[in-house]
Formats: sequence, C-alpha cells, structure tokens
Amino acid sequence: MLRRLAVISLGLAVLFAAIPARTSRPPRYGGTLRVELGAIVASLDPATASDGTSQASAAKTQIDALIYANQNLDGTSTGTPGTGPFALSSWLPGKSATLKANDKFPQGRPFVDAIEITLGRAFRDRLLDLELNKTDLTEIPPQDARHAAERGVRLSQSPPDELLALVFSENRAISATETHPRQALSLSIDRAAIVTFLLQKTGEPTGALLPQWSSGTSFLFSTSADLPRAKELLAQIAPAPKFVLGYDSADPLEQSVAERIAVNAKEAGLMVTAVGAPPSPSTTKTDSTPDARLMRVPLRASQPAVALNRLLRDLNSYAPGIATSAALSESASPQIIYNREREILDAFRIVPLVWIPQVYGLSPRVRNWTPPGPGQTWPLADVWLDSPETNTTSPHIKDPE
Amino acid sequence: MTFRSKLFLNFMIALLLAVGLVAAGVTIVTRRVFDQLNGQHTDAMVQQFQREFERRGQDVAHRIKAIAEEEATTRMAVDLSRPNADVSVYVHDARGVSSSHQLNFLDFVGNDGSIISSEEYPARFGYKLSWVTQPDDWAARGAFLMKVETDQGPALGLMAVSTVRVGDRDLYVVGGERLGKEFLSSLVLPADMRALLYLNLASEFQEPNLIDINGPAPDADRFQPLVEKIEADPVEQTEKISWGFDPSNAEVFKALPQVGRQKELLGVLFVGSSQRTVVSLERRIRWLALGVAAVGVLLGLLLSWWGAARVTRPVQKLVAAAREVSHGNWGSRVEVHGHDEIAQLSKSFNQMTGQLVEQREKLVQVERVAAWRELARRLAHELKNPLFPLQTTVENLQRAREQNSPQFDEVFRESTGIMLGEIDNLKAIVSRFSDFAKMPQPELAPVNLNDIARNVVKLFEAQFGAVGRPPITPELHLQENLPIIQADATLLHRAIENLILNAMDAMPAGGVLMLRTQTIEHGVSLEVSDTGSGLTPEESERIFTPYYTSKQHGSGLGLAIVQAIVADHGGRISVESESGVGTSFHLDLPSSPPHKPQVFPMVFEKKEVEA
Repeated sequence: MLRRLAVISLGLAVLFAAIPARTSRPPRYGGTLRVELGAIVASLDPATASDGTSQASAAKTQIDALIYANQNLDGTSTGTPGTGPFALSSWLPGKSATLKANDKFPQGRPFVDAIEITLGRAFRDRLLDLELNKTDLTEIPPQDARHAAERGVRLSQSPPDELLALVFSENRAISATETHPRQALSLSIDRAAIVTFLLQKTGEPTGALLPQWSSGTSFLFSTSADLPRAKELLAQIAPAPKFVLGYDSADPLEQSVAERIAVNAKEAGLMVTAVGAPPSPSTTKTDSTPDARLMRVPLRASQPAVALNRLLRDLNSYAPGIATSAALSESASPQIIYNREREILDAFRIVPLVWIPQVYGLSPRVRNWTPPGPGQTWPLADVWLDSPETNTTSPHIKDPE
Repeated sequence: MTFRSKLFLNFMIALLLAVGLVAAGVTIVTRRVFDQLNGQHTDAMVQQFQREFERRGQDVAHRIKAIAEEEATTRMAVDLSRPNADVSVYVHDARGVSSSHQLNFLDFVGNDGSIISSEEYPARFGYKLSWVTQPDDWAARGAFLMKVETDQGPALGLMAVSTVRVGDRDLYVVGGERLGKEFLSSLVLPADMRALLYLNLASEFQEPNLIDINGPAPDADRFQPLVEKIEADPVEQTEKISWGFDPSNAEVFKALPQVGRQKELLGVLFVGSSQRTVVSLERRIRWLALGVAAVGVLLGLLLSWWGAARVTRPVQKLVAAAREVSHGNWGSRVEVHGHDEIAQLSKSFNQMTGQLVEQREKLVQVERVAAWRELARRLAHELKNPLFPLQTTVENLQRAREQNSPQFDEVFRESTGIMLGEIDNLKAIVSRFSDFAKMPQPELAPVNLNDIARNVVKLFEAQFGAVGRPPITPELHLQENLPIIQADATLLHRAIENLILNAMDAMPAGGVLMLRTQTIEHGVSLEVSDTGSGLTPEESERIFTPYYTSKQHGSGLGLAIVQAIVADHGGRISVESESGVGTSFHLDLPSSPPHKPQVFPMVFEKKEVEA
C-alpha cells in the first residue's frame, strides 16, 4: 500500500514537471507577483544567520536565491546582491521586501516585473487573501492542505521531500548502548494515525531515512506500530525510563505529533512529556531538557546517496555521532544505501516518522509554477502572470484531492 | 487575718464565683448560639452550592444535548454511519464546537467508543472511551462528576453525554465543564466564607489538588486529615482549622464529598466559614461582660467592704473592749445596738465586765483585809518577840523595886539594857518595813550584769563555806561579751543578793547555786537556781506577795523587793520550781528600760512570771 502510494507520488511529481512543457499559452511579461509568507525574516544578508526557526531560515534562503546568483550545497546564497534574477528594491526587516526584475540576468529577464513579499502573515490571513485574490503565492502547511482544498484554493504540492523524525540527542537519560527504550518508543508510534489525522493524509508514513520515490527501498522499513512488542521490551527494563520530547513550539504540526507520540507511548507504558523547546540542543541537562526532539529535515538532493549524506549531516548538527561512517559515494548502489540506512536506524537514535510534501497555494493568474524539487529554490523567475481577462484556473495544477 | 478580712474575702470569693459562673454561662450560651447561627449560615451556603451544582449540571446537559442536535453533528453521525467512513476529517471539530458552547471538555465518540475528536486531549483520537458505550440512559442521567483525562493530566469535570443515533449506530457527544477555580469563582459567597475544592485525582493526598479561586490553595496539608477521613467514610464532615494562635483566624469547614457515577469519591468541596466575625462578636461580648463584671466586682468590693465593716464593727468593739479588759481596764463596756446575736454578745460582755469589776472590788477588799491581817499578823509576830522580853524585863524591874532588892541597881541596869536592845529590835523591824515602803526609783547607767553577779557571789563566798554549815557550791555560767544594759547597779545588786539569800535559805543541807546569764531578744537574762527542796504550787503563786514567807524568820519582803526592782527596770521575773529538785528564778532585763516602768501581771505555774 505504502509502496503504491510512493509510486503514485513519484508519478505525480514527474507529471507536474512535464506539464509546463505542454502549456500552449505564450508567456506574458509584466505584472507584480504578490507573495505572502508566514515566517519573519530579520535580515537578507546571507552571512547573517536567521533567527533560528526553520521556517524563517527556509524563507530567507528562498528570498536570497532570488537576489544572489550562486547557491551553496545547503541552499544558502553567495556572491553579489543583484546578480540573481531579481534585485532588492525595498526592504522592511521582518515585514516586507520588494524585488524588481533584473534585466541583465544572464539566464534572461524574469517574466514578472516585480515581486512583493509580505512577511509574518498568519496562515488564516494568507488563506483568506488567496481566496480573495489578494496574493498570488503562499505556503500552505501540509496539515491544512486538505482544509484549503475543501475551500476551493488552488494548490501545488511537491513530492514528499521533508522528513519528520524523532531524534535522540546524545548523552541523555539512556545510555548509547541501551536501545530498548528507544526501540519501544519507536514501536509504540502509530505513524498511520499521524498521517491520517494530524497531516490529514498529506504525507507518507515512513520507517526509512529516504523517501520511497528516491531510494526505492523505503517499503522495507516497517512503519506500523507494534504495541505488544513495545510492552515486551519495556518489561525487560525496570523501571521504565521517562522521556522528555522536545518540539519547535512555533510549529503546530510538530506539537500535535509530539503530543500524539506521548499518547502512544503512554499506551505502551512509557512516560513521555512533550515540551516546546528551541531547536538547538541544550548543553545543560534539566528536568525539561529534551531527551529527544522532533525534527523536520529537508531532502536536499534527489540522488539517494547524496540525499542521505546531506540528511545525515543535518541530523548530526543536532545529534552528533548519529552517523560516524564515511559519506557514501554518489554512485553507491541501492543495497549499500539500504545497508547504511539500516545500520543507522538499528541504533534507534533516529526514528523516521513521516515524509511531508511542500504545499503552495496559488492564485488563478499564476502560470508556469512548478513546485521546487529537493534542494531547489522557488522558480519565480520562470513564473508569469496571466492577464486579468484570461484569469482562469490553470489546467496543469492539480489539487491534492 | 482579721475577722473583717476573712469576711471580706468570703464575700469577694462568693462574688467572683457568681460573676465567673454568670460569665461562663453567658460565654457558653453565646458561643452555642453563634455556632448554631454559623452552622445555619454554612448549611445555607452548602444548599446554595448544591443548587448551583445542580443548575450547572442541567446547563451542561442542555448544552451537550444542543450540540448533539446541531446539524453539523447530525451530518457527522450520518457520515460516520457509512462503511469506511473517513473519521480523520473530524479530528479537529471538537475544539471549535467546545469553544462555541463554552465547554472545557468535549469528545465526539464513535459507535465503538473510539474518540473521533477531543477538545481536552486532541492527541487521543482513535483511542477508546469504553465507558460511553456501556448501557446507560444518558438522557435521564443528566450531568455527573467524572475524572477526565486531558493532555495536562487528569481533571475533574461535570459531564454529560448525549447520543445521536443514525440507523443502528450511535455517535456519542461527551462534554462538560471543568470543576476548578473558575467554578469556585462563580459561586457567590459572603465575605466571610470561601469554598475550596479538593480534586481526588490521585491515590494519595496531593496538595496541589486542593484549589481555591486563585488556584492551588495555600497550607493545603492542613486539609489532608479531613480528606482522608472522608475517603474512609464519604459523608459530610465538619471541622475547625486554626490558622495560627489568633482564634479569629480559625475557619469552620464543612466538607462535602463529591462522588461520580459509580459512587467513587472524586472530590471534596470545603465550604469554610471564617470565625473572624464570630470571634469578634464573642470578644466584644466578653469585653462587655468583663467590663460589667469589673464594675460589679468593684461595687461588690465596696459593698463587701461596707458589709464586712458593718458586720464586724460591733465585733471589733467587743475585741477592743476585751483587750482593754485584758490590759486591766475591767470596767470597759461596749455600746449595744439592736437585738441580734452581736447585741446579745455585747450585753453579755457588759454584764461580764460588770461582774468582773464587782468581783475585783470584792477581791480587792478581801485581799486588802487579808493583807492587813497578814501585815497585822506579821507585825504582831515581829513585835511580839521584842515585846515579850520587854514585858518580862519591866515586870522583873517592878518586882525588884517592890521588893527593894539590894540588887535593884544591877537588875535595873540589866533590865534597861535588855529593854534598849529590844527597842533596837523594834526599830529595826520598823526600819525594814519603812525601807520597803520607800523603794527608790532606779538611776540608770551602763552596767554589766556579769560583773554584778560576780560581785554578789564574791560577797557570799565566806558564807557558802562557813564552818558548821553544809557547803553550798556556787556555779557561774556567765556568757562572754554579754551586752551592756541600762540599769541601776545598786538595785540589781540588791535583787541578786536577795535571790542568793533566798536560795541559801532553800538549801539548809547545802547544794549547788547556779547563776547563768545570756543574751535574749532586746536584753539579757539572769537565771538563779538552787537545788533546794523546791516550792509547792501554792507557794509559787504567792511567793512574790509582800510579807508572804514560808520561812520562820523571813520578813516576806525579799522577793517582793526583787520583783519591784525588776519591774522598775521594765523587766520580768518568773519562777520555775519542782518539789525536791530545786527552784529557778529567771530575770529578763531589757537593754534599755522604758521611760515608765511597765506594770506586768504576775504569772506563776512554773513558767514565765512577768513582774
């Protein structure tokens, strides 16, 4: 079933990529693309770190990619401002930015004349603005995609390219060699319920580090809960340890998943306390210092070996030592990649939960939009805006439902 | 303690007892009345709570029923009744519905008891709420108390259940209000009352589970015994809790057990009534009572004093009169008022003193006659001795003259010589009596009684060991450093001389004469003892009477003179005597005699005899 779902998702992604080529309407220059984002970006300087939230960091990366020509492997930009497809016209830190099309952009001038980016806009307002055609492009939280679709919003969804995983930090309550409590916790989690109820079916349950559409072996990792086995493992430990599970308090999805994990763990006999915590690991242990935390790790490449290497590098930043072996070569075989995944997951320091897609809400006049693939930025230089009189729903955008 | 003081004290004790009893009675009655009122007040509040609780329950049941009857809920029920229904679309519905109906708890529960959506525990979707599916007439049951699991831990809720039936499948709507500080805040209580709620959510007493309108109640541990008592026996309990030493800080709590559907104890409501007002009123009454009591006691004090004085005044007069009688004023009389016992006693006293005076006058007369007789007898006796030779001599002289005896001249010479000698005797007798009559007043000067005693004994040393007479052994036990006293050394010398002469006369067969001096309070004492034949009690009584003597040749004035000297020095003399053992005279002399010599009555019978 899961494999079939992954294949369908992959097929859809390929289809989404192919559809623009079949568009018969000629592109149109001009117009201002209105973008609303929920994140608050304080600085657009690539050398300046973001405020720490993953949302703000991702938004800054996307805006910088429009201004700067060069991108690093981790998505950050380098170079001279204005070398990108757009140049910064006005900037109100944390509130708004206006970008103007760069006529001298080597790959050709963008279709739109300008992009107006509004920052710090709540999802409810963004959705309303989208319905009222007051904005052209905005991010939709995956758990709200179904709700937005029910309200008739035009959606664009990427292949699942963000891993929501439970990551145990180092030197916490459980010794590194004792895996039973972590395994028990892993076995107690009902991933299907998380996808069905919390993500409203927008996402894929996973037990692997790479999505099925990338590695093709994800289905080999079990995703189903096994409460009897979890209880059996816990029976071998007395008393059962208590976990503090951290989550990004600014992310409602992480919060709801953390609370659900706590409920699942309670059923198995584990005491898990979900607490909102900053993303960076704390160096001092207190009663509320997380033993583990939920992390949303983006897939930065389509090629599985590269994607796994970068994924592990990102995870190592929170939980050092999670993968100590050397990086895989780009030409590593699926077997080697699978073995590497299995090796890491058998330590139960990382428990993959769900692969989540990126969902965007589009206004009817947006044309030539393709959701960015892993490691890619928003292709706003290729987007053009339909004239008001031809403002109809694009046939190449498919709602998730 | 005087009779008046005793009487006054008795009056006061009686008064204080009466006031104390009245005060205690008033306090007890007042406290009972206040406790009763307080209990009625608390009962009224408890009834109000129960009515409010019932009203809230009805309200909750009404709201749950309203949710169940809403179109959206009906649509949900219809949707969920279909095969393979997608329940995930309703996972967030409880939150919005509970918010619009102002409910703290709301769960949509499927036909199999699975939670479809939960307000209080959103992450608990999919889990079973099995008790909902148990057979029960939820509509008839109304609201009930229940322990509710939330994402913040267990809570106590006033819950109700309503069902929406579509076909043969039920959708359960379970919801309610949290019983917490908001609920307590909604109770309208008087200023001196408060309500606390213990949430019995754990197996053991937990202090944070006791809440008031501000959250966790302070000093919750004080309620633990009461909670445990109710856990053991879930019936209403009343207990007073003191907050410190001030009784006005105490509160009387009525504890009402709150039970759930299965009669399990889920909570305890405490309706507390502050004792501040009651204690304040009690204090006010107490102070008022104390004020009244103080005034009463003061008045009682004055009245008791006046009453005691009024009652004891005649007695005091009687006492004063009796004292005067004891001081020799036998003619003392008291005024007689009324006809009560005191008046009769006064009359009797007056009669007694009258009789005493009369008896004394008679006695004086008798004694005077007796004294004169004694004097006459002594004089006759004394005078008879020289008169008889005189008569014989005169008769011899007459006879010689009538016979013209040639030895008349010789007889005449012898007779006149004898007559002159007897006349000298007569003169001596007269002189002794004259001396006694003319006792001089003492001329005071610092003297040492030891020196006087030694001098006197030295004078008699020759006589103690005189030839032809059994020896008398003098023993002196004179205290060293005997205080100097103001006295007339000549008179004391004469007094001691008379005592030694008296002792020598008492020891015709010889013996021991002992003189002992010692310091006494306010003076010195001298004891003169002999080992003679002793005195009879009758002799002891009369020994200081002038002209009384038990000896053949005594004048009866020696000891009378001693007594007079001691009396003139403000001292006292006493005699102790035991027949066959001896006699001891004790002289107590003050350091400084009073200005006027005191007149002491003479007391005999071995003990002290005051001169």
